[in-house]
Amino acid sequence: MFNRSISFKTPHNLLLILNLCSLSLVMIYNKSFDKLSVGVIFGLTITIYLSNIMLHKISSGDNYILLIVSMMMSLGIIMIYRIDPELGFKQVIWYMLGIVTFYVTYFIVKKLPYLSRWMYLYIGLSLVLFLSTLIFGSTINGSTNWIKIKGYSFQPAEIIKILFVFFLAAYFVNRDKFENKYILSGIVYANIGFLFIQRDLGSAMLFYLVFLVIFYVYENDRKFILLNMGGALFMALIGYFLFSHVQVRVSTWIDPWSDISGKGYQITQSLFAIAEGGFLGTGLGKGYPNFIPAVQTDFIFSAIIEEMGILTGIAVIMLFLILIYRGVKISLEQKDSFFRIIALGITCMFGFQAFIILGGVTKLIPLTGITLPFLSYGGSSLIMSFASLGILQVASEYIHPIEEEDSNE
Amino acid sequence: MNKEQKRIIRVLLLLSTLFISLIIYLTYFTIFKADDIKTSSYNKRPNEKAYVLRGSIYDRNQKVLAYSTKDDNKDQTRHYEYGNLYSHIIGYDNNRYGNTGVERTFSSSLTQSNIIDDVKNVFFQILDKTGMNKDKVPIDRETKGNSLVLSIDHELQEYTKQKLGNKKGSIVAMNPKNGDILSMVNFPDFNPNSIEELLENKESQKDGQFMNRATQGLFPPGSIFKVITSTSALENDVNTNFYCEGQIKIGGKPIGDYNNTAHGNVDLKESLTESCNVAFAQIGVELSQDTLLKKSEDFMFNKKIPFDISTKKSSFPTKDIDKAAIASTSIGQGELLVTPLNMALMASSIANDGKMMKPRLVNKVIDSDNNVVKEFESETLSTVTTPDIANNVKDMMVSVVDNGTGKRAKINGIKIAGKTGTAEAGKNKKDHSWFVAFAPADDPQIAVVVFLENDGGTGGTTAAPIARDIIKRALGY
Repeated sequence: MFNRSISFKTPHNLLLILNLCSLSLVMIYNKSFDKLSVGVIFGLTITIYLSNIMLHKISSGDNYILLIVSMMMSLGIIMIYRIDPELGFKQVIWYMLGIVTFYVTYFIVKKLPYLSRWMYLYIGLSLVLFLSTLIFGSTINGSTNWIKIKGYSFQPAEIIKILFVFFLAAYFVNRDKFENKYILSGIVYANIGFLFIQRDLGSAMLFYLVFLVIFYVYENDRKFILLNMGGALFMALIGYFLFSHVQVRVSTWIDPWSDISGKGYQITQSLFAIAEGGFLGTGLGKGYPNFIPAVQTDFIFSAIIEEMGILTGIAVIMLFLILIYRGVKISLEQKDSFFRIIALGITCMFGFQAFIILGGVTKLIPLTGITLPFLSYGGSSLIMSFASLGILQVASEYIHPIEEEDSNE
Repeated sequence: MNKEQKRIIRVLLLLSTLFISLIIYLTYFTIFKADDIKTSSYNKRPNEKAYVLRGSIYDRNQKVLAYSTKDDNKDQTRHYEYGNLYSHIIGYDNNRYGNTGVERTFSSSLTQSNIIDDVKNVFFQILDKTGMNKDKVPIDRETKGNSLVLSIDHELQEYTKQKLGNKKGSIVAMNPKNGDILSMVNFPDFNPNSIEELLENKESQKDGQFMNRATQGLFPPGSIFKVITSTSALENDVNTNFYCEGQIKIGGKPIGDYNNTAHGNVDLKESLTESCNVAFAQIGVELSQDTLLKKSEDFMFNKKIPFDISTKKSSFPTKDIDKAAIASTSIGQGELLVTPLNMALMASSIANDGKMMKPRLVNKVIDSDNNVVKEFESETLSTVTTPDIANNVKDMMVSVVDNGTGKRAKINGIKIAGKTGTAEAGKNKKDHSWFVAFAPADDPQIAVVVFLENDGGTGGTTAAPIARDIIKRALGY
């Protein structure tokens, strides 16, 4: 028993060493040792150990996805703490709340029966959230996708993401009951349209990609998929010509250098940071991540590359790749069709979201501001990512298939 | 595997392709694009002040010569406490114009902080916060680079500059036993505190004020080269007794003495004492170009002198030259070109029993707590001759000051060895005056070279008195 627990804990011990080394480096370069640093070190260490050990005791499913996320969280917190110690400490608190959300979601989703039957509830809730954003929403960084309640702001789109996956899963599980792909795509495009109105292009793109993937795997009418893709392309073109903010995104992607001090400022600052980093980075504390606007949220990856190098950047990408691999594996092994779709949807959410922002800050694709899951600073996105992860954890376990009266095949 | 599973695996392949293309793109970007992007003028990083406060530069007695300060914006400013005095030794360090001199050679030492300081800082903070810092060790919040301790003696440096005044030229004083450069002064010079205005204004760049004449100026040595010819003559046992009529023709070309003074019967000692060109020209021809070349190379001609600031090579002709040219080379004319530093080393090596010590400008690197990070040992650079022959040359050089052309360098109570030189600088140009010396001859503490460019006087009249004063000051008389 003792031996087993030691060997099981090995990756956590390695992670602890990484965290202690990095955080002491940051302390040395900040030349500060205070309550915040103690809080961050202990908070981070305890959260990682407790959450992973608990998981081992509680869940019979996948033990790796939370471990992968622990590594991502560590890198993110180290960088955020280096940029701003106070934010770093707050992120540790968010991490703890995220872990609580993870377990709470895990238990709730595991206990709730017949999740696949509540399709209209998911649609309704999404609609309510969208409408409330439109009515009560406030604009932050050019996107009207935040709701402020008593000084706390959160993005309803983060919750809608999960509802969206649930809706898609429920639809395809109950396909025989209401086989109407037009209503399905109508609802999906309404979702994307709402996001577009809120100028949240990143989320709109994300929703559409996830929809396409699920549609590709489960829709029997193959022509209809092509029709959808063609339609989307058409809408994208119209959107480009009608809306100036879309044009700006594209032109700053093609040539950010022509307007360095203006619209291309953010992306060029990010490219400078990445260029300065090189393969090994300038070293923790020795770069200038503060030159990049929104560095602790959307541009955290550029800051990581500047100070820890492209090699660490590649490590981050590989972590996402392993997470996606585990997610797809969970989906393939799941016997329950509802959770099979849920697992695939959540995995795609993580994967595409990471790719959209990683590609954006490196100028591989046009930049649309969304957060990098588990690395960016941010309350609501982190909490909802952990909620998604909790659901994925449920999906990784054996679920006794529900006997549907009229199950197909 | 059913259709659904196949499709899910294709989705995994798609996502993997996306992420792997990101990795490939990042690698490509770093290898091919990063360098161009970094150098963009919109990249604020190079202008951002270094995290480490650049270290200070001290003289051998810990007098501050250069230091940096940080203002509230963390902008660093470099201060040169003595303006022009160290323009060619310390040089300048500027964000826009780069750096020169010791600032250049030791830039990485000056900006390298002691990581232990930073660790200590945090450690003492931990003790402070937990109430365990009973000794109340103060916490230093600034990270300072390492500092340099030069071999220069600031007082002598100031005095040397005062002695050179506004005369174009160069003076180097050094310790012949360990190679320490005690003072090194050139004129024209510049004020490193206002380097930006100087470099922006082309007008101010004439006269070679940015050139360190002592290490990079190449000049004909004139008669001070006879020290090397004498060394070679003693080693090779050639005939050194001549009858001087004041002039002689060698290879069809006339070689004359200063004012065509006839010295009569002379041996080697008398020839050096009176700086007899007629005798030395014939000795040179007897020695042959090869022997003189080899001896000169022992004295570091045609070789890079390793030094803490950049140097140029003194040159002795390597391609075959005729008798007339050998004759004029052996009296320090012809194609011979030397740096004043090399001549100081020549005098030092005779003073130090034939061992030329490697010149040393930076003695040690210390951290902000004055702990020695690195200490530079003195090293032998070259063995120019045997101690016997060196002592023999030394005796002859004492005679130069006691009875010969170098009389004006005489100091009562100190035995000085020296050699004068008056070098032809070319058509329509005034002669250069040279004087090399070391003292006390029995136990040399200092070697000096005085070089006055196009001075028009003779080494014995204009350069020798300056060398005397510097020796006097350095030895405390």
